[in-house]
Amino acid sequence: MEKRKKDTDIDAIVAKYRPVVSFRVKKSIGVQTPDWEDVVNEIMINVVEKLKKGEFRGDSSVGTFIYTITSRRIIDFIRKKSKVLKHAPEPNPYLSPHEHVENRERAQWIADSIKRLKPKYKEVLFLYYYQELSREEVAKKLKISPRRVSERVNYAQKLLRKVMKE
Amino acid sequence: MKKCNFENLIDEYLFDRLDETQKKSFEEHYFSCNQCFEMLEEKNEMIAVIKANGDEIFRDVQAPAKIRRSWLEPVLAFLTPRQWAMAAISAALILVVSIGVIPNLKTTPPEFFINDDLVRGSSITLISPVIDNLDQIPSEFKWQSLGENTEYKLFIFHEEELLWSTTTKENFVTLSENIKSLMAPGKKYSWQIKAFSPEGTFIAVSSRVQFNFVSSQ
Repeated sequence: MEKRKKDTDIDAIVAKYRPVVSFRVKKSIGVQTPDWEDVVNEIMINVVEKLKKGEFRGDSSVGTFIYTITSRRIIDFIRKKSKVLKHAPEPNPYLSPHEHVENRERAQWIADSIKRLKPKYKEVLFLYYYQELSREEVAKKLKISPRRVSERVNYAQKLLRKVMKE
Repeated sequence: MKKCNFENLIDEYLFDRLDETQKKSFEEHYFSCNQCFEMLEEKNEMIAVIKANGDEIFRDVQAPAKIRRSWLEPVLAFLTPRQWAMAAISAALILVVSIGVIPNLKTTPPEFFINDDLVRGSSITLISPVIDNLDQIPSEFKWQSLGENTEYKLFIFHEEELLWSTTTKENFVTLSENIKSLMAPGKKYSWQIKAFSPEGTFIAVSSRVQFNFVSSQ
C-alpha cells in the first residue's frame, strides 16, 4: 500500500516535470540535435531512480531537485559534444515551430489569430518579437512609453491565450 | 491571477538576453512555478509562429512602418532604378566635361577682330597728341616703338571719315603744310596707328585718340 502510493506520486511527478525538463533540454542543446529526446529520457529515468532510492530528502522543492539533475546532465552532454564538435551546440533563442507546434494546422491557426489582432497590438508584436527590438526601442519607435509596450504585449498575449487554449 | 515577479524575465530568457546568474535563477524558478512555465511555453509557441510566418502575418503592419521610416521612397520612385543610373551617368559626364575639358579649350590666346583684321594680343601706345584743345595744329604724331623692322600706318580721321593716311618705319610722322591745310580749328579729329611685320602681317593696333585745336597759327 505504501509502495503503491509512492509509485503514483512518482508517476505524477514524471508527468508534471517531463514537459519542463524537455523545454529546458531543447532550449540548451537545440531541437536540431536529434539526441535531445534521449537526454530527456535519461534525466527522467535518473529522477525516478533517485526518488525511489529516497535521495530526495525534501529539504528543497521537487522542482529544484529535478532542475539540478537536469542541469548536470545537460552540462555533461554539452561537454561530451564539444569534444567532438569543438563548439557546444548553439542555444536556441526559440524552438522550431515544427517541433513545438505539434502540427502545421495549429501554427496556422495561431498565425491567423495574430493577423486578426488590432494594428496597435500587431505593430508591437512585430517590432518586439519579430524584429527582436528591446522594449525601449519599440517604445521609441512607436512614440509610446515602455510600460505601454509591455501592456500591449501582455494584452495581445492574453487575447491569443484564449485561442491557443481552445 | 497574481503576477509572478519572474514573469517579465520570460521574453528576455527566450531571446537569450539574461546573464548566467539571472538565467540560472529563472530556470530554477520555472521548474517550480507552474504559472511561469505555462506562460513560457505559451510565449515560446507564439514567438515560434511569429518567427516562422512573420512576413505573412505582418504584411500590413510592415508596409506603413516602411513608409514612415523612409520619406525618400516616393522621391526614389519618381524614376526607375535604370533611369536613376542613366541620370547619374549623365551627371558624371557633364561634370567631367565642365571640369576637365572646357578649361582646356581655353589654352589658345584670345583673338579678336578690328576692321576684319586679326589682332594678336599686343597694342600700340600713342604718345602725342593725346589731349584735346591744342593751341595749334599738331605737326608731329608720335607713338611707342614696337622695335625695328616694324612698319606703321598712321590714319587721321575727321569725324568718322578718313582724312589722310601714310606709312612709315619710324615711330613718328611729321605733317606737311599740305596736310595741315586740310584741317580746320574747332573740328573733331582722331588718329590711330596700325603696325605690320616686314612680311606685311598686321600685328598691332592702337586705340583711336581724338584731338582738336583752337587756332591754325
